[in-house]
Amino acid sequence: MVINVKLTNLLAYSSLAVRRVSHLGKHHGDLPYQLLLSKPNPLFHHKKQIQTVVPSTSTKNVTVPVENIPTADSLVRLDLEGLYEDIREGLSETQPELKLIAQYYFNGEGKAIRPVITMCMARAINFHLDQNTPSVLQKQKKIAQIAEMIHTASLVHDDVIDVADSRRSRPSVNIVWGQRKSIIAGDFILAMASKMLARLQNKQVIILLSQVLADLVQGEFMQLGARENKDERFAHYSEKTFKKTASLIAYSCQAVSVLSGADSTLQAVAFQYGRQIGMAFQLVDDLLDFIATSAQLGKPVAADLRLGLATAPVLFAAQKFTELNPLILRRFQEPGDAETAFRLVLRSDGLQRTKDLARQYCNDAVTQIAQLTPSPYQQALVTLAHQLLHRMK
Amino acid sequence: MASRNCLMRLKTFQLSSFNPPNGIAFSRGFGASPPVFQIKWLQAVSHAEKVVGNPTFLDLESVTSHEISNMAVYLKNLIKTGHPLTSTVKELLNPKAKKDLTRGLLVLLVSKAGKHKANEDILPNQRKLAEITEQIHTAHIIHSGIINLPTPNENLEKGNKMAILCGDFIQSRSSIRLAEFKNIKIIELFGQAIADFSAVEFIDEDTYCALDLWTQKTKMRYGTLLSNACQSTLILGGDMDLLESAKNFGLEIAFAWQANIDLQSYKSTTKKEEHILTKLFPPGTPFEEILLIFEAVRDKHINASLEILAKFPQNDACLALCDIAKALNY
Repeated sequence: MVINVKLTNLLAYSSLAVRRVSHLGKHHGDLPYQLLLSKPNPLFHHKKQIQTVVPSTSTKNVTVPVENIPTADSLVRLDLEGLYEDIREGLSETQPELKLIAQYYFNGEGKAIRPVITMCMARAINFHLDQNTPSVLQKQKKIAQIAEMIHTASLVHDDVIDVADSRRSRPSVNIVWGQRKSIIAGDFILAMASKMLARLQNKQVIILLSQVLADLVQGEFMQLGARENKDERFAHYSEKTFKKTASLIAYSCQAVSVLSGADSTLQAVAFQYGRQIGMAFQLVDDLLDFIATSAQLGKPVAADLRLGLATAPVLFAAQKFTELNPLILRRFQEPGDAETAFRLVLRSDGLQRTKDLARQYCNDAVTQIAQLTPSPYQQALVTLAHQLLHRMK
Repeated sequence: MASRNCLMRLKTFQLSSFNPPNGIAFSRGFGASPPVFQIKWLQAVSHAEKVVGNPTFLDLESVTSHEISNMAVYLKNLIKTGHPLTSTVKELLNPKAKKDLTRGLLVLLVSKAGKHKANEDILPNQRKLAEITEQIHTAHIIHSGIINLPTPNENLEKGNKMAILCGDFIQSRSSIRLAEFKNIKIIELFGQAIADFSAVEFIDEDTYCALDLWTQKTKMRYGTLLSNACQSTLILGGDMDLLESAKNFGLEIAFAWQANIDLQSYKSTTKKEEHILTKLFPPGTPFEEILLIFEAVRDKHINASLEILAKFPQNDACLALCDIAKALNY
C-alpha cells in the first residue's frame, strides 16, 4: 500500500527554516539553515511514523518552489567539508615535487559534482535502509574521496593526451611540469587511491571501482577511434560516454549502496541513477561546448571539434546535413572543418535533439531515485537532475 | 658539507665491505664480460624457465581480446612515430625473441620455492600474479618512456599518446585482475609498489649521496615491486612462514640484478663520464674505483640473496634461484 508522502514532505520542510540556497557548484560562505545533516531527523526516522502522523489528503504531486528545496551540495556540505584537505593529506607523504603536482588539481576549484552525488546517494540509501552506523558513513565519504581522486588522475592524463594548456582557468599540469612528470604523478594518485580502496576492506567495492579504471581507459581508446559506419556512430558515442563519464558516477553510487547494505535490486537503483545522471551530465557538457561562452566554461568554445571529437550535437546534425560525414571521419582536421561543422550544428536541430536526449536521461534518473524512501537527500537528487537541465538554458 | 660526508662514507664503505664472498669469482677490469659468464647466465635463466613450465607474459599477438589487439595496433603506431620507446615496444610485441630474466619468472620461482611438499605445484592464482607483476612493470616502463615536448612535434606527441594509453590500459587491467584475488593485503602491497616507482621520478637527488642515492632509487623503482610481489605470491600459496624471507629475498635480488645491469652497461659504454654510476660519485673519481665499489655492492646483495634462499625448502625452484643469483656476476 503506497501512501503518497510528497504532501507530508512539504509540511515537514516548511516546519524547518530553509534559507535560499546557492546554485549547484558555487560555494558562497556559510548558509545557515536548520536542516539536520549528520543526525537523523526524528521526523523522518520512521517511514511508518510519517504515514500515520500526517495522513495525506491528496495523491497529486505538489510542486515545491525551487528556493525552498535544499540542493544536493548544500545538504552534503558538512559531509564533504574536509574532502579536498583529506585528499591532499593522503597525497602528502611523498617527495615534495610529487606532492605539489599530485595536489595541484585538488584545490577545491572544481565543481565537485561527483563527491556531491556520491554522498547524497549515500545519505539517501542510508535513510532508505535506516542505516545509521557511523562507520558506514565514514567509508562512504572515503568512496567520495577515492572517486574524486580517480577522476582527477584521469583529468591529468587527459590533459597530456589532449595537449591541453589550461584547466579551470589555470595552466594545466603538463604545461607546468611537462608531460612525463604529469603522467607519472597521475599514476601515483591512482596508486594511492587503490591503497585507500583496499583499506575499506570491502571486496565488492574494490571490484566496482577497479572497473571504473578500465572503463576510463577504454573510453579514451574509443574516443581516439572513429566509426566508419555512420549508423554505428551514435551507439559508439553512447558507449564511450558511459565509459568516460557515467561509469565513475554509476559505480560510486553503487559502491556506497553496497556499503550501506543494499541488496542487488537497490544497488541497481543506485547504479542506474548514477549512470543516467552521468550520461545527462556529459550531454549537457557537449551541448554547452557549442552554446556557452568561453568565460562560462573556463576553456575555449568548440574545444571538442578542435580535438576532432564528434559529440551528440554533431552526430544529430549529420543526420540532416550529410556533408558533415566526411568531416567527422577526418576528425575536422582540414582547415575550416571545425568552423563549418560549428555553423551546420547551429543551423540544424542537433542542439534541440541533444537537449531532448539529456532530458530523457534526467527523467529516467528521477524515476529511479523515486523508488527510494522520500528524504531531503532523495529529493535533492531529483533537484539535481532538474538543475542539470536548467544549465542548458 | 654534503660532498665531504659522501667522500668519507665512500672510503669507509671500501674498507669495510671488501669480503670476497663464497664461491663468487671477482671480475676485474673493463670491457665486456667473458662469454663464458654470459652463457652461464643464459643457462641459469633458461633452466629456471623450465622449472616453472616455460611461461609467457603479455603475449600480445596470441591473445584475441578485442581490447588487447587494439592496443597492439596502437603500439605498432607508436613504432611508426619514431618515439624513443620503439625498442621497448618491439620487445613487447615479440616476447619470444629475448631469453632474459623477468620479474614474472622470479615470482613464479619464488612461488614454487615456497612449496613445502614436493608434489605441490604452482597455483593458477600464483601464475596470474606473476603475470600481473610483469605487466605492472611493463606499464611502468612504458610510462617512464614518455618524453617531454616543450615544442610541439606531431609525431612524437602521437607516440606519447600511444604510450600513455597503452600504459594506462595495462595498468587498469592489472588493477581489475588484482581485485579478483579479493585479498586486501595484496592490493595494498601492489598499490605501494606503484606509488614507490612513481615517486622515484621526483627524488631530490641532493638529499642523498653516492651509494645511498643508488640504493634508495633502486629500492623504490625495482625493489618494492619485486619484494611485494614475492610476498603476495606466498600469501596466495598460504606459505605464511616464509613471508618475511620472500619479502627480503625480493628486495635483495632486485638490488643484485639491477647492480649487475648497471655494471654491465657501465663496463660496455664508451662515454663513462655520462653514465649514471659515474654521476653518483664526486667528479674525478677514478673509473676503476667506481667499478670495484659496484662489484662489491652487487656481490653483497648476491650473498644476501643466497643466505635468504637457504631458509626456503631446498627444491628445484629454490636451487634454480640460487643458480640465477650466482650467475648474476657475469
